[in-house]
Amino acid sequence: MSVLAPILALLLLAWCVAVLDAWMTTGRFRPLAPLTATLALVAGESLVPRKPDRLFFETAPILLLLAAVLAAAALPIAPHLVITDLATSALFVNAALAYVLVALLMAGWGPDGAYAMIGGWRFLGQTIAYSMLIVMPITAVAMRAQSLLTTDIVRSQAGLWNVLYQPLGFALFFVAAMAVSFLPPFDLPTASGELAGGVEAEYTGARRAIFRLGRTILIVSLATATTVFYLGGWLGPWLPPWLWSALKTLAVAAAMLAAGHAVPRLREAHLLAWAWKAGIPLAMLNIFLVGVLLLVIP
Amino acid sequence: MLARDLHAVTVPGPDVFSALGLDPGAVGVTYAATPRHAQVLVLAGPLPPELREAAAVAYAQMPRPRVILALGTQEFSPLPDPDVTGPASHDGLAQGLRRVRELLSRHAFSPEARAFEPAVLATRTEYTCPMHPEVVQDEPGTCPKCGMELVAREASGSSDETHHHTISHKDASAHDDHAQHEHRDDHGGHAENRTAEGATSYTCPMHPEIVQDEPGRCPECGMFLVPADSDEGAGSDTGHAPSHAHHQADSHPHDHDPDAGEVHEHGAGMDFMSMVEVTKDLPRGRDGLPMDRIDVPFGPLFPGLPGGLLLTLTLAGDVVARASARTLTGPRSALPEPGMPAARFIEHLASLDPLTPTAYRLLARRALEAASGSTPSAHQQRARLAAAERERAASHLGGLAQLARQVGLPWLERRATRFQLTLIHGDHDALALLARQSVALRTRLERTPLLAARLMHVGALSPADGLRGPVARAAGMTTDARTHDPAYAELGFEPVLHQGGDALTRLHVRLEEITRSLRLAEAAGTLTMPADFDTHAAIGDAIGDAIGDAIGDGQAVVETPRGEACLQVYLDGGLVTRARLDTPSAGHLTLLPELLTDLELGDALVAAGSLDISPWEASVS
Repeated sequence: MSVLAPILALLLLAWCVAVLDAWMTTGRFRPLAPLTATLALVAGESLVPRKPDRLFFETAPILLLLAAVLAAAALPIAPHLVITDLATSALFVNAALAYVLVALLMAGWGPDGAYAMIGGWRFLGQTIAYSMLIVMPITAVAMRAQSLLTTDIVRSQAGLWNVLYQPLGFALFFVAAMAVSFLPPFDLPTASGELAGGVEAEYTGARRAIFRLGRTILIVSLATATTVFYLGGWLGPWLPPWLWSALKTLAVAAAMLAAGHAVPRLREAHLLAWAWKAGIPLAMLNIFLVGVLLLVIP
Repeated sequence: MLARDLHAVTVPGPDVFSALGLDPGAVGVTYAATPRHAQVLVLAGPLPPELREAAAVAYAQMPRPRVILALGTQEFSPLPDPDVTGPASHDGLAQGLRRVRELLSRHAFSPEARAFEPAVLATRTEYTCPMHPEVVQDEPGTCPKCGMELVAREASGSSDETHHHTISHKDASAHDDHAQHEHRDDHGGHAENRTAEGATSYTCPMHPEIVQDEPGRCPECGMFLVPADSDEGAGSDTGHAPSHAHHQADSHPHDHDPDAGEVHEHGAGMDFMSMVEVTKDLPRGRDGLPMDRIDVPFGPLFPGLPGGLLLTLTLAGDVVARASARTLTGPRSALPEPGMPAARFIEHLASLDPLTPTAYRLLARRALEAASGSTPSAHQQRARLAAAERERAASHLGGLAQLARQVGLPWLERRATRFQLTLIHGDHDALALLARQSVALRTRLERTPLLAARLMHVGALSPADGLRGPVARAAGMTTDARTHDPAYAELGFEPVLHQGGDALTRLHVRLEEITRSLRLAEAAGTLTMPADFDTHAAIGDAIGDAIGDAIGDGQAVVETPRGEACLQVYLDGGLVTRARLDTPSAGHLTLLPELLTDLELGDALVAAGSLDISPWEASVS
């Protein structure tokens, strides 16, 4: 399978998510907004702060984009529409997402500004909260599929989607996915009311355009991951598989955006407390329940 | 097409814009989180000098192409002249922005564009010898002691001082942060330098009883051994922490750093960077963790705080170790020139706080009436009550929008702002409907998940002398100047009272007051004429006749949206010769340093916001 088709699909989905996001925040539906916003950024000045760590500053947006694309690379849009079908692709998604932290820390440190730096460190704390809640639900999903291959995981849901088979895991993964993509209410590293943009604050012009593209593709990647792991990926009647994937991914992304708009930003301490005191025990319970189900139902 | 999505930095701030009845959202403009993300700087109304300076810094931070739109602002220095001007009205804003869009769509950024460097941002370059730090001069040259080429560095001292004290956003923070940044880098550099020096005995950082002549690993824990006298070296090294200016030099650790000389003198070394050593002299935070501290300015043009308020938070991690607060809207005098005619005095007082002009107009009027011994008619009293209550509801709605911006609730920001603008522009018939809407808004907020968890126990204040207005009433204190007012008593007024004193309780008090104020304004309005918001008609115009050439002093207390304000005036022959004004925000501002200390950054900002301080009011002396 050529690499081009999945990449194009990814960009198209990112476009839709950007329109959706603008629609939800401003209340105006403008399908061309991503184009105009990008053009305005590229036509504008791309400032370099006074005393940057140039390497970190320049690398961070590209690394964020790369991490997001890599995560998507192992996720199938249709049975054969996947960039790379690794034997350990479920694990690979997780590994690629780890670089989101690195990118944000670099974006925080690079520009040499206090708001950005605090934002970067905040995301480090956030990672400690969400990372187990990404891995543990994936474990339970792989248990059912008896495989780490994402295409196998989709096929394992032919009888019953994982969202019904293991709803607890779905809920935890959904919330953790929002935290990875630092969507509200988990936008601690970029909080506008607390850090005036945080890690994104010092990026302007073309660099910011890359940062925003990376962030949007990250949302798409995580929505695709949710679709693949819990909503039966491309499975569905009548429509072609790729369309099912796209529709489900957009629905998940819309749900993530909508959920974020309804609640205020979390307190960092609450996020950590809730993730470890409630999230991880629940994720353990989910693994246990799935294990029991696997033993009971042949 | 390029200019469709406009992001604006507004000076003074979104709070003042809403209070002036300006609605950038209605014309497709969003408030930018930082000047870095903005294309247009919108100024509204007269701006005090320090706020203009802050605006100049924000403008310098904006990427080009950038445009200045001034609405009713006369003085600009140190800002360049605005590209577009207009009156401070919503039409002025809409027309101005149309022009701004034209300008922006015709101009992309060209690298030849002229830079804007206001004097407040200027930095001085000085030259120093890498080996003899005491040699410092303004011109490049060679060192008189060793003949080495002098290296350039950014001067610390005066120019930097102004920077720190005047400026808002990124740049000042970049300075502070930079010091830290370099500081940490230096440890790496120092460690490497030290090893070259060589020391006689080696010990384990964790097990001081292990001492040997050769470098190696600790038999107890396997850690690398460090030179035995490294304590001294590390101690004096971390001792630099407070003197950030020292590190301002634009140098990298591996260059010839002025610090390098000191390191060699200490002669102590470490094989690796031990966290124990590096952090041992740093101040301990509330949780006992040693951490570098950075001074970070929040304000005066910060999206989560009232425009003009500057908080300087010393952060240890993201916990506030120390806080200071001041306003950049002053200094303003209640009586700029002794011997002001009464009518002008009223206008002056009304212009002191753009957030609540009606309350101060009323206060001035009342104090003058008390001084001259005249009394307003019952009709006038009700009209005043209606105007004041409308303003209270509008002001609390502005506070809600502020909270929404701070904690990231876009729907609340939109709804509260629209509500506030309807209230400002709308007529009396709308009040009943608005009162019902305010109840619906309250219900929706009570049902917003996680909002209570976010605000509960944050910034709790117990009853104390300094508290006034909604802040006091949320702490269970029955302080409300309206309780003694016969006009209010006639309408069956009762103050809202809650126990708790935290940010959540303050939110509840304000929400309830919005509804009650709208009902009061409606009830008062139906008895007389519709109270035109903030006009002379509502409060009384012909002050000159009533006062004549009266002599005497008078005092008045008005419950402004932020609490009791008290004004004493002395009249001599119809002229105001002395005036003393006591405002609620001035007292609340002094509470901030103690209130914010030891709070996590997000909580500290919520706590500061929940006091609803008006920087304008607080800067009146």
